[in-house]
Amino acid sequence: MLLCRMPHDHDENHAHHLLPAEPALRVKALETILVEKGLLDQQAVDAIIDEYEHKIGPHIGAEIVAKAWSDPVFKSSLLRDSEAVLHEAGLAGRQGEHVVVVENTTDIHNLVVCTLCSCYPWPLLGVPPAWYKSDAYRSRAVIEPRKILSEFGIDIPKSQSVRVWDSTAEIRYLVLPMQPEESIGLPVSELARWVTRNSMIGAGLPMKPADNQV
Amino acid sequence: MKPPHDMGGNPAEPVIPDKPDEPKFDEAWHRRVLGITIAVGAMGGWSIDASRYARESLPRSDYKKFSYYEKWLGGLTNLLFQRGFISKNEIQSGHGESKSPLEWRERILSAKHVSASLAAGAPTRRQGAKPIFSVSQKVSVKLPSDTLCVPIGHTRLPHYISGKTGVIIKCHGVHVLPNTNAHFLGEHPENLYAVEFQARALWEQSASSLDSVVVDCWESYLEPA
Repeated sequence: MLLCRMPHDHDENHAHHLLPAEPALRVKALETILVEKGLLDQQAVDAIIDEYEHKIGPHIGAEIVAKAWSDPVFKSSLLRDSEAVLHEAGLAGRQGEHVVVVENTTDIHNLVVCTLCSCYPWPLLGVPPAWYKSDAYRSRAVIEPRKILSEFGIDIPKSQSVRVWDSTAEIRYLVLPMQPEESIGLPVSELARWVTRNSMIGAGLPMKPADNQV
Repeated sequence: MKPPHDMGGNPAEPVIPDKPDEPKFDEAWHRRVLGITIAVGAMGGWSIDASRYARESLPRSDYKKFSYYEKWLGGLTNLLFQRGFISKNEIQSGHGESKSPLEWRERILSAKHVSASLAAGAPTRRQGAKPIFSVSQKVSVKLPSDTLCVPIGHTRLPHYISGKTGVIIKCHGVHVLPNTNAHFLGEHPENLYAVEFQARALWEQSASSLDSVVVDCWESYLEPA
């Protein structure tokens, strides 16, 4: 059995080249091999897809944010010990085992990236969107965050700091966006609808539900 | 040379935000790759660190050309081969020639355990020594090549902070070290810190004096400044 000691471009390590060129066929071939070898239960694959397609998504993070907006005690414990609070809520699953919640204020705007792959808080936000995984975002978020934010329609005042969190380890960051003034006093269930996915990455702002799709 | 996956600070085109109706998966096979990768990973044949290393070890040209889920698929295929789960003949023919040993077949993820498996995740926090560095302390960052445990191995230290000085703003506790774990050389847990770098210290004058970047660094990536 080979250990991973080979240089990057050594042919021996690139068995994936032996699969068909067309990606859809490549997946099918690998799945067939794994099933025939007894290494894969296709119903488990279906169940995983169902979880990420229909159950786990940004509505989960939005509920946490809405609760923090409306309950100051919950908010302070969430910011102080995010990991314990989310664990208690049963939200510390795969790729969100160790979460730190960071708060946007009038002084500081937080933005989350993973420059080395595309780490993302899956149990709170679901599968990452295409832009988050793009080479462009991974490359530029750390060097020109203000320019990227303007591409998302957000202009950060010169007086406000931008702090970019590069998720290089197993710590996942969730942004607690500022609550829009006009939403103050609404019930938690309604507030959650103001919380956009992008606002919890720092690449968006909460919005009135009718205008708010991402 | 900087490896292709280490992208921080590279020049690149504008970022295109998604449209409101953008699907969660662009292609049906993307879903399948996600499901297969997670299901096979749950068997416990390797860690997340080994998976990441397999993806970033794809040939440079493939890494650049492949979409996100194609990288997952390439990395998974290579790991399965390198760890002896599937053979070259099997990959070439598209069929399993023989059943895998029972010890692995007994460990596969079944549909009824999927929710619990995803909810449990794979925590990386461990017991370990007290941190050497403290909050507010200045630290400087080693070269990525000085943190490798095998030649051309895995590290989570990006080049753009190499040799730079930052300040510790948080100690995350003790976590599994990817530099060894990716190579099946043990977890060697270490203290992990959030280190804040002033944007101007990283990118010279083009950045705002108010802006900063925070990078999570293991203790062995750092030196007192």
